[in-house]
Amino acid sequence: MPRLTRYTECVVTRIRPVCSFGLVLLFAFLVACQREETAQPESSGATLTVWAHAGQSSERETLAQHVTRFNQAHPELQVEVTFIPERSYNAQVQAAAIAGELPDILEFDGPYLYNYVWQEHLIALEGLVSAELQNDLLPSVRAQGTYRGRLYGVGMFDSGLALYARRSLVRQAGVAQLPTHPAQAWTVEEFSHLLRELGGNDADGAVLDLKFNYPDEWFAYAFSPIIQSAGGDLISRDGYQSADGTLNGTQAVAAMRALQDWIGKGLVDANVDDAAFTSGRVALSWAGHWEYPRYKAAWGDDLALVPLPDFGRGSRTGQGSWVWGVTRYCRQPRVAADFLEYLLAPEQVLAMSDSNGAVPATGTAIQRSPLYREGGPLHLFVVQLSEGYAVPRPQTPGYPVISNAFRRAFADIRTMADVQAALDRAVEMIDRDVRDNRGYPVVAPP
Amino acid sequence: MGLLFAAPALVGLLVFVAIPFALALILALTNLRLGSPLPLEFMGVEQFRRIFADAAFTRALWNNALFALVVVPLQTGLALGLALLLHQNFRGRILFRTLFFMPVVFPLSLVAVVWTLIYAPGPSGMMNSFLTVVSFGAWEPRDFLHDPLFALPAIMVTSIWQGTGFQMLILLAGLQAIPEELYEAARIDGAGHLGTFLHVTIPQLRNTLIFVVLVTTILAFRLFDQVQIMTQGGPRNASTTVMFEAVQAAFSRQQVAAGAAMSVVLFVVVLAVTMVQQRFARQEREIQ
Repeated sequence: MPRLTRYTECVVTRIRPVCSFGLVLLFAFLVACQREETAQPESSGATLTVWAHAGQSSERETLAQHVTRFNQAHPELQVEVTFIPERSYNAQVQAAAIAGELPDILEFDGPYLYNYVWQEHLIALEGLVSAELQNDLLPSVRAQGTYRGRLYGVGMFDSGLALYARRSLVRQAGVAQLPTHPAQAWTVEEFSHLLRELGGNDADGAVLDLKFNYPDEWFAYAFSPIIQSAGGDLISRDGYQSADGTLNGTQAVAAMRALQDWIGKGLVDANVDDAAFTSGRVALSWAGHWEYPRYKAAWGDDLALVPLPDFGRGSRTGQGSWVWGVTRYCRQPRVAADFLEYLLAPEQVLAMSDSNGAVPATGTAIQRSPLYREGGPLHLFVVQLSEGYAVPRPQTPGYPVISNAFRRAFADIRTMADVQAALDRAVEMIDRDVRDNRGYPVVAPP
Repeated sequence: MGLLFAAPALVGLLVFVAIPFALALILALTNLRLGSPLPLEFMGVEQFRRIFADAAFTRALWNNALFALVVVPLQTGLALGLALLLHQNFRGRILFRTLFFMPVVFPLSLVAVVWTLIYAPGPSGMMNSFLTVVSFGAWEPRDFLHDPLFALPAIMVTSIWQGTGFQMLILLAGLQAIPEELYEAARIDGAGHLGTFLHVTIPQLRNTLIFVVLVTTILAFRLFDQVQIMTQGGPRNASTTVMFEAVQAAFSRQQVAAGAAMSVVLFVVVLAVTMVQQRFARQEREIQ
């Protein structure tokens, strides 16, 4: 080993230790400063924490603008909103709930409301939200936000689900008149016949887009209405204790067999690129309100909105979307309610509906919306939501399991498995979960 | 003194591996749910009995085993072949090495999304049209990811495509460590290419190969990303895996205890497999 030069020796034995010591001192100093900065004074309670899902960018921007304007109008109060990615939103809320770190105001996906109330995370909104606002809400929004008779959540918008159709292609297939009201919806026989006619005229034979590329929750949302239209349901709504006979009963099986038949005949496009309808490969698309801007841009006046087919007991459709609630960690529920009232005022509701295309949740806003008012192109969604054609997803804390079970059954049915067996398996999963949770009893007074 | 040096790593192992596993074992004996006001109950081995009675879980175990049995030899063999090719001295060697390694760099979820598009059903799907061209029109277009027969093989191909580069690089390093004199000696003794390969290359690569096979096996049991993105458990459980079932149970159905039981079973299985492998193929260690 060569002997160190005098210079190196000097550095190693004297200057380097001094420098290291100096760095350690600097680091300690910075850490101490940091701690001082973060030692804020005890929150004066003038801050409201809000969590929202990071949806489309226009949705996010609109909400951020609402919050800014609210803060400007209320200088003594500050609302802080945190956006959380949509895909993992429910899991993150659950994790935070277990840690007891929920914010004051929480936005969440409607069907999970019952689960959160059961876990005692939300407070009832009765005395906090004005009666006129509650009466102005769409019946579907009120129904979704109610659990065991009390209101726990209010949504700024609701969702619409229907069939988008190409007028010209449907006319070519021999159907001149398109139904405009759910009471006039096609029966499943008429619809199957239409599909076969369209398939005959189509290049690859696939004429229906069922959005198979969408992730998990879509399947319960979009296809449980078929079962409800046939007279079955995801679970017996009398007590929410069992799905046996309801989800796997003859009506439900018949409805799912009809759907499986369409897939088996090659009438359904896999929609891997999510462009089956816009590129003209299919004539019909089973989709929600969010597709309207894209579809309108692609087909203009050739685009028609048609209610979902009637599988026996009348056309049924899905409903439900994001909902705002106040958590029990909020120390100023009155102020939180003020913020919710502000969000649900017509200007804010309309601005949000403009940005995400959803159905405004209040009657006053609907009357002022060019898309959704009487005579507007999307008024069908409002009709469905207010006249009882839209069915809320099961209002039980066990909803996550029901949704998962149905998704698995649907995935099996899609690959031509036996429908009865697939639905039986789903029923077994759901019933076992209800038993494991002792029937989801009320653990504490709401 | 030696223990003191190893202490930080040991503490890390304890905190991040041993203790969570012990917790998982304890949780698997209860009925814990994600967020439930009901009191926690001790259930004994009921959770384990349930998951073994669940058709999806037993199929998942079988799928994992099949996956490991097929992918490990295929991927290792392919990696060895590529490493041998790249061990030659030719122009563009470094370019090819980079190209073969590139799939490893991409995040697995990105790879899964792209391959979902490649496997698009119908004659216009990339894989379908490729197979049609290669088979001169004899191939009938299929929906790979929703076909009970092709779902798991499709995932196998994706995994092999992504993982081979990494194994190839390790084996290449192992090849480069083989002293040139051995090859010269073999040449002098009159050994042909096959003889050199079997009697010089493979024995010298023994330690590296054992390591590669072990790591690939363990990773094969951890299969999750591709299943989550491409097939979601596949048609009638054809492509589900233990990790996927555990995540579904714990986060989709909020049954944490069931998920914990599944991960305990997975750990035991992987431990057994690696112990068996270690027994049959001990690495040679030089003792100084």
